[in-house]
This record gives sequence, C-alpha cells and structure tokens, in this order.
Amino acid sequence: MTRHSARQGARLAHESIAFTFDGRTIAARRGDTAASALLAVGVRMMGRSVKYRRARGVLTAGFEEPNALFAVGGAGHAVPNVPAPALAVEPGMRITSQNRWPTLRYDVGALLRLGGGFLGAGFYYKTFMWPSWGTYEGLIRRLAGLGPAPRVSDLRQPSVEHLECDVLVAGGGAAGLAAARSAARAGARVVLCERDVTCGGELEFETATIDGAPSAAWINTALSELHTRKVRVLTETAIVGGSSALVMALTQAGGMPASDAVYRIRPKSLVIAMGSIERPIAFADNDRPGILLLGAAERYLTRYGVHVGHDVVLFGNHDRLYAAAGRLLGCGVCVVAVIDTRAQLHAAPVHVLRADLARSGVNCLLGHAVLGTVGPRALAAVHVAPLTSPNSVRTLACDALFVSGGWSPSIHAGLQEGGAAAFLPQIDSFGAAAQPSWRRICGAANGKLELAEILRDGHAAGVAAAQAASLRADPGAPPVGRGDAAPNLESFWRSPAPLAQEKRQFVDFQNDVTVADLRQAIAEGFGQIEHAKRYTTLGVGTDQGRFSSELGAAIIGELSGQSLPDVGVFRTRPPYQPVTLMALTGHRFAGHVQPTRRTALHGWHEVHGGVLEPAGLWLRPRYYRAHGDDAFSAGLIEAARVRAQGGIFDGSTLGKIEVAGRDAAAFMDRMYLNRASTLKIGRSKYMVALREDGMVLDDGLLLRLEDERFLATTSSSHAQLVLSHLELWRDVEWARSRVTLTDVTEAWSVIVCAGPQSRAVLRDVLGAKWSTILDEMKHMQFASGLWHNASLRVLRASFSGELAFELHCRAQIAAPLWQALADGGLNPYGLEALDILRVEKGYLTGAELNGETAPEDVGFGRLLEGDNRCVGRDLLARPAFSARDRPMLVGLKAADGSSKFLGGAQLTTTDDKRRGRGHVTSAVYSPALQQWIGLALLARDLARDGDVVLARDPLRGLETPVRVTASVHFDPASERMKA
Amino acid sequence: MNRLYCPFCGPRELEEFRFHKTLAEPGADAYEEVYARINRPTMSLEHWQHVHGCRAWLRVHRNPSDGTVREVRLVAGSDEASLSKDSTHDPA
Repeated sequence: MTRHSARQGARLAHESIAFTFDGRTIAARRGDTAASALLAVGVRMMGRSVKYRRARGVLTAGFEEPNALFAVGGAGHAVPNVPAPALAVEPGMRITSQNRWPTLRYDVGALLRLGGGFLGAGFYYKTFMWPSWGTYEGLIRRLAGLGPAPRVSDLRQPSVEHLECDVLVAGGGAAGLAAARSAARAGARVVLCERDVTCGGELEFETATIDGAPSAAWINTALSELHTRKVRVLTETAIVGGSSALVMALTQAGGMPASDAVYRIRPKSLVIAMGSIERPIAFADNDRPGILLLGAAERYLTRYGVHVGHDVVLFGNHDRLYAAAGRLLGCGVCVVAVIDTRAQLHAAPVHVLRADLARSGVNCLLGHAVLGTVGPRALAAVHVAPLTSPNSVRTLACDALFVSGGWSPSIHAGLQEGGAAAFLPQIDSFGAAAQPSWRRICGAANGKLELAEILRDGHAAGVAAAQAASLRADPGAPPVGRGDAAPNLESFWRSPAPLAQEKRQFVDFQNDVTVADLRQAIAEGFGQIEHAKRYTTLGVGTDQGRFSSELGAAIIGELSGQSLPDVGVFRTRPPYQPVTLMALTGHRFAGHVQPTRRTALHGWHEVHGGVLEPAGLWLRPRYYRAHGDDAFSAGLIEAARVRAQGGIFDGSTLGKIEVAGRDAAAFMDRMYLNRASTLKIGRSKYMVALREDGMVLDDGLLLRLEDERFLATTSSSHAQLVLSHLELWRDVEWARSRVTLTDVTEAWSVIVCAGPQSRAVLRDVLGAKWSTILDEMKHMQFASGLWHNASLRVLRASFSGELAFELHCRAQIAAPLWQALADGGLNPYGLEALDILRVEKGYLTGAELNGETAPEDVGFGRLLEGDNRCVGRDLLARPAFSARDRPMLVGLKAADGSSKFLGGAQLTTTDDKRRGRGHVTSAVYSPALQQWIGLALLARDLARDGDVVLARDPLRGLETPVRVTASVHFDPASERMKA
Repeated sequence: MNRLYCPFCGPRELEEFRFHKTLAEPGADAYEEVYARINRPTMSLEHWQHVHGCRAWLRVHRNPSDGTVREVRLVAGSDEASLSKDSTHDPA
C-alpha cells in the first residue's frame, strides 16, 4: 500500500531490514511488527481460521490479536501462535502462517469445506459417532488446533528475579503512570510493568494535554520523575498471573511468548491499570481481511506509517468515530463513509466535526449499520442499510473497514482471588467489582473513558495503595488532563441479519464461533454463559475471550430475551496471555532442577570407566566399564572379584549424622529400636529406627565416638529424612534436652574395602602405625587416627559378607587413599555388584524397607531391647502387625536351579495365580551360587521353608516357580566376615 | 500463602520449608495422633520444617480455605519434657 521507504512512524527507525513470510522475502524497517510490515507491502491475508479455514487478516494492533498468529523460527523448533501485531521483526526472521496446507492462498481444508457449509457447535462429536469417535479422532485432530508444537525444547533459560515492593502497578498508560507517580510521591517503593515497548498507552494517539503540556511531553516528565524516585519501570513485561502474595511477571522481548526474564514480585498492594480493549461488532462476513478495529488502524498509521486502506469506511456506535475520521483524513486517507448506528448525535462538538467531514466529502450516515461485506477474499465493498429498514441496502466500495463497538475494561487480572465482574451501565460493559483489600483497579480498566477521569482515578489508586502500606507522604495534586470527550456510546452488538446469515456473523474469531452457534447452544439447553462457552468454544482460545466474552454474552442475551447483566460474563483464568512453559520454569530446567552431588572420588570414577547413575541427588558408580557396556556381566565380574580377592566401593553418599551432648545417649535410645546407651566407646552397632506409626524408617550403624558423642549412619537416600526426624523429636518432645544434631555427610568420604585380601592391602597402604590396630580389630569395632596428617577412622563392618573395613576420611585424602588401595590390588566395584553381594547375604535396602514393613516383618523384632520405649513402639502392639498374612522377609531360589526371575514379580500360589500374596523385592544372578536368587516379602502363612510359589511377571513375560528359603543365601554362619 | 514467617529467619519463600503433617486435636490418643487426618476447611494446625534455612521445626496455624497464616511458632510446647533430670536445672 505504502512505499516502505517513505513511511513515517513513531516507532520506526531508519534501518531497513528483511525477513521471510512463508518463504517470501519482505522488506521492513527496524521497529516494525510483523503485522505492520506485511500491511505496508499490501499483504492482508495472514492466516486461516481454525475451523472453517476462512481467510483472515489482522484485526488488532496488539497482543490480543485473535487472527494473525504466526509460527516463528525454522521447522521443528518454531514457536507457534505468536501474535503478528506484537511480533517485532528481526533481520532474517523466518515467519510462517498457520492453519493452512499446502499454502496460505490454496488450502485443502478450505476446499473441503466449500460444500460443507456450517459446522455447528459439537459438529464433530455429533457426526463422527459410528462406530466410535475414536475411529476418527486421530484424523480430525490433525486438522484441528492452532499452530504446531515445537519438536525440540527451547533451551534459552530466562533469568529469575525476585522483587519486593509496596505497590506494583500493572500497566503504564495514563492511569498507570499517574498511579505509580502518586504512590512513589507518597513514599512507596513502586514497580511498574508495561506490556508494550514504551509507556503511554492510548496517550500516544490522543491529541490531549495534561497539566497544560502535550501528552507526549507529560509522559516523559512522568517517566523521569519515576526514575528519580527509583521506581522500577519494566517494559515489555506482562503480568501473567498472581495472588495476594506473589505476582508473576514476564519480560517477553519482541512479542515472543518465550521469556528473557521472569519476575516474582511480592507487592503489598497491586494497582491494575491495564486499560480497555476495543470490541468488534457482529455482522455477516465481519472477518474479512481488511476489516480492523478502529483503534488498531490508527495505531498502524501513527506508529508505523501504514495506511491500511485507500478508501475506508468507519463503523461504530459512539462519538469518537468522527474525531478518528478527521485524523485519518488529515493523514491523506480517503474516508468514504462514517456509519453510525445511533439515530442522532447529542454532543454539540460532534455536530461540528460531522459537518466538517461532510464538507470533505465523507458520507456520514446516522442510524445505519454495516450488514455484510463483499469479497472475494479481502474486503471490496460493504453493504449498508438504515436500521429502521434493513432491506434498503446500498453497497459502498471500499478496501478497508474500521469497526469500533465500544471498549471493554481489561479486568481479567481483577477477577482472580475473590474478584467478581459487575455490569457498568455507563459504559455498557463489565467491570471488576468486589476487590480484595490489596488490589485496586483504575483508569480505563475501571470503566473510565475520559482522560481527566482516568488520570484522577489513577492518582487516587496510587495514593490508596501507598496508604495500604502505611505510606502517607504528600502525593501532590492529581494530573489534570484534557482529551477526547465522553464517547456517548449507545449499545450495539450485532447488525440485523436473516437467519441464514447468522453463521457468517462471527463472535469469536479465533475459534470460529458465530451467532448461529450461540443460537444453537441456547436451543440445546446450553444457554447459560459458562455452558455456552464450553459448548461452542466461545472465548477458549489464546485471546481468552477478550473480544468475544461480552459480545457473546450480549448476543446470548438478545437471542434468549435476557438483559446483558443477567447473562453475565464467563470467568477467565491466568495466564493473561500465552506463555511458554520454559518461561514459567525459569532456570529450573534439566540439570538445574536440583543440585547434583558428587563424591570426592567422582573424578576417579569418570577416568576409570565408572558408569554414574543418579541416586537421589548423588551420582554414584553403577559399574566400571571394563568389557563394554554390559552392566549385567560387569556386575557379576566385580562381585565375584570381591569374594575371591577384594574390592573397593565408594560409600561416601552414606548419610552421617553426629549426635552430641549430655543427653545424646538417652535421646538415641528413644529414637532407635535397640539401645544406644549400652554401646561402648569404640564400638558400633546395627540400629533400626521406626516411624511414629511403627514402620521401619531406616537402618544403619551407630558408632560411639565418645561418651557423649555418636555418629549415626543412614542409608544414602534417607539421610535428610532421618535428620529431620531426629530434629523433630528432639524439638517437640525433649526441647530442654542437651542434644545437637549435625549433618556431617559431606565432611567424610567413605571407602569400603571388602574381601579376603582387604586387611593385607590396608596394612600396606596405611602403614606400620595401623598394622596392629587392623590385626586386633574385631567385627563392629573402629579406631580413629591420621593418614597423611588427615583424620581417618577405620571401622570393621561388612555389608557384603566378606571381611571388610569402612574407611571414613577427610575429602582431601580420599582420592590418594583410594588410588593406593587400587594400586594394592583391590578392584573398584559399583552398585550392581553391591546389590549382588547384599542379596546373597540377605541384607536389606529400600526395596525391602519400603515404608510398609514393620520390624517383625523383616526379622528386626529381635533387636527390640527389653523395655526400650522408642518412637513407634506403642503402635507395634496393633493387631494388624501380627496378622497371619502379614508380609514376611524370605529368600527365594529358582525351583529348577536355573530359571530367571526379577524384582517386582508378584508371588502367587500355584493354585491361585490371580491373587498376589507378596512380591519379589530384589533378585540377582548370584555368581557365588551360580543361579538366580532373590529376597521377597511373602504372606506369613505361605512363608514355609522349601515350599514352591510362583513368581509371576507378565509384563516381562516371566513366570518362574521359586522355592522359599532363608533370607541369607550365602555363608549363613558369617564365617568369612569374622575371619 | 507463598511465604511463611520463620521465627528465626523472618518471612521466607515457601519452597524453603517442608510440610510434615497435620496435627491431631488436643487430647487425641496415640492411634489418632498418627492416623487421623483432620481436614477442617478453616483451621489447620501443622508441622513444617525450615529445611533449607535454619532447620527449625515450626507449628503453623493456618486457614487452608483462604491461605492466611494465623501463627507460626517453634514446635516446643509449654509441656517441655526432659530426658534427664539434671539438664532441666542446668543454668547454662
């Protein structure tokens, strides 16, 4: 339409850039949006509608755009549904239109529907019934929906910033600036979020004055005052949701839904000044490219210097049409006609404007409406008729139609957490009522339409918000504004139309909901507004019903004979505008969801082929890659080597809690099934802790370091849980006791040194000082000392059934000590081998101690010492714990000595295969016994030594007869361990 | 309720805390204390721990229906028990 080099616009820079739209190169200027650049080169068709595949152009000039949604980026990782009027074009940007195949101009879906006509609400569900909806669903879903989801994740991580303030102002238009200024003057710490690239909102277009200065100058004055008062002004930042305690705001640079910065803001008060949204009017074929909202057309002109049409018609129901027509004329646009639905004008200044327009050749029609439009695709003419005689139609040729049906306050953010919508008759729209004490709505969002009112309202809201935070410095006088007069709006929602045309009167552009759909919804009993929304999909698109909620409600009211306030509007939900999940995730993504914990030996494992796997937050070696990636055989080899010679295992992840203080022994007595107070210094003991309900919480070794100092070890995954548990009981029950609890897990590395050669190697490595100690050390004893001037504790304890020592040492000597042991001939082994060794010996882990096992179930009953009144003991007396089908720990062996079975298999009797009587908790192939063995929890009445039960594992196609045995498969007398 | 007021650390993000359980009514027996889950809409007495902070165990009195927190205090009640006799009289 306009030569782009000649364009003059408030937002355009000189630099020429180019991008591609559906493969075609488009010249643009820096500062252009995709919509303005395309309009400037005459592209009007920017997408197709989701259901009827009708050609659509851009309707608005902002984020709320329902039609022109683009996918941005190359195939596979394009971000879909980006509103064209918000999308700032960048050099080389790849933009594609959506909802069309193969091309925007020739779409198969549109051809298919040429003959089909109207697809009423629920069409698909009602039509594709035989034999079932499922038969067609896949095919239909391929044609349905908005843009395609990206195939790869956008790895750009936004920064997350936490802000605290007294007053958060949402919106930087006239009201928002006034509110931020008065709140800051009153002494409040203020944050202001503006969704657009600059503040000012509507002031950019109004020829208004504020405090005697042109509005543009006032904006600059206000912004510099905010700067001086340290108000944080965040532009391109939208508030997407929030509650009384936390408001989420996202910076979305260039209009992309992906985010650069996430703000978690904690305001004492929230001021919503999000303005209002111009609404369309329903008439036949009101969705043709070339039909725009009036305000949008003015934006394209002033911001980007784009003339949307040569010959334009204005259509609306208020006084502001005339001033706008005057401005368009002034910019060289040929205004063919101004169609006003009102029968007469009341305000004198408007009469003057109208007379001026008529002198310039503008056809000003009162009491008329646009009934329909003429294509073929883009707009070529409009049908106009007087409302008193809709049959006397005349046709006006034009290439653009600018519609304005009034303004709806942007109240979405005011409807959450206790807010409600209320009808405001003076603006013929819904506003937000019943706000909680921490939230205020002001300006156009509060139903104000005149600049003077808007500024006063904003100022007052800012003062009140500051007062709510007890800040009462002098806010000064409110700004005095003079702008457009009240619009004298008269309600008009839809042009008269014969029934047959109602299916082309679009109410919700994004979801192709028409007046006919609403009529059908009412006829079928879904006329209540929330029902109609769900039945017709009115207002469920990415625009969240910004245009359609009131229009739809008004039309439902008209069709069902109710008043608009009685119909009401449906509730909307956050987010206020589309955001990517990544934007909400912030930096908590992939490896940053939680910290990764590495042991001091991590580097060694990596260098020596250790395959590391996550265990809780830790990374632990599963096996060492010696013969390829076969974990199974690596585990077998490593386990066999431990029994034959010896091995070393990184046990640093073991939880370690130091318990100290005068009452430490008495406290630990209460916390464990067996007594700590009888333990001698230098000895350790296997201890079991119960939960309050009597179930086993955790097991581990307890070392008595000194009379009043213990070291409790916990299983790796339970370290935090056990510490919290101890802290709770200390604090709740024995608050005056003298016990300190310190997590020393990371202070000590642990090297497990197991196998028949372990003592000999250790003696060589640790040196002469330690030789006698090692020789004389009995099972479960420990000694403390130094190695290379760093603390070392050697504990003789075994979780493999072999002669074994745990070396607790400072991190700085862990690697040299480990290396020395490896050089001495001990091979590293990982979790695979550890599991084999412990199942052979019947030692328990989380698989057996799964939170549902009582001490008796797993043979811990013997640990309960006399009258020890520990946590959880009271409830052990419950009859359920001694029921005859209570699970019991048993060992299993394949009945034929060779078949395989796996952990997770259900155990049944051979007679009744459908009733699970227990399950296999762990199963391994034992290199020592040369067969599959396992541990299981089996109903007590079936747990008879020698009996055969079935291990059923249908998911993995296994069904193995297994023989019940004692839980200790290997070396039941533990002679090797005590050697 | 996106923040809790820790008596030691002041107002802190909820994610620093871990919920443990809802407490039974006063006078409940051992079984009820462990198993009964009272789910009153307007009043809930709960145990939380400031796990990623000072690790204090807290007794939180809050209204689940509107998210307001009425009181947060340390768990140690008035009926402080002791494990050994001398420690209660220890001035230090």
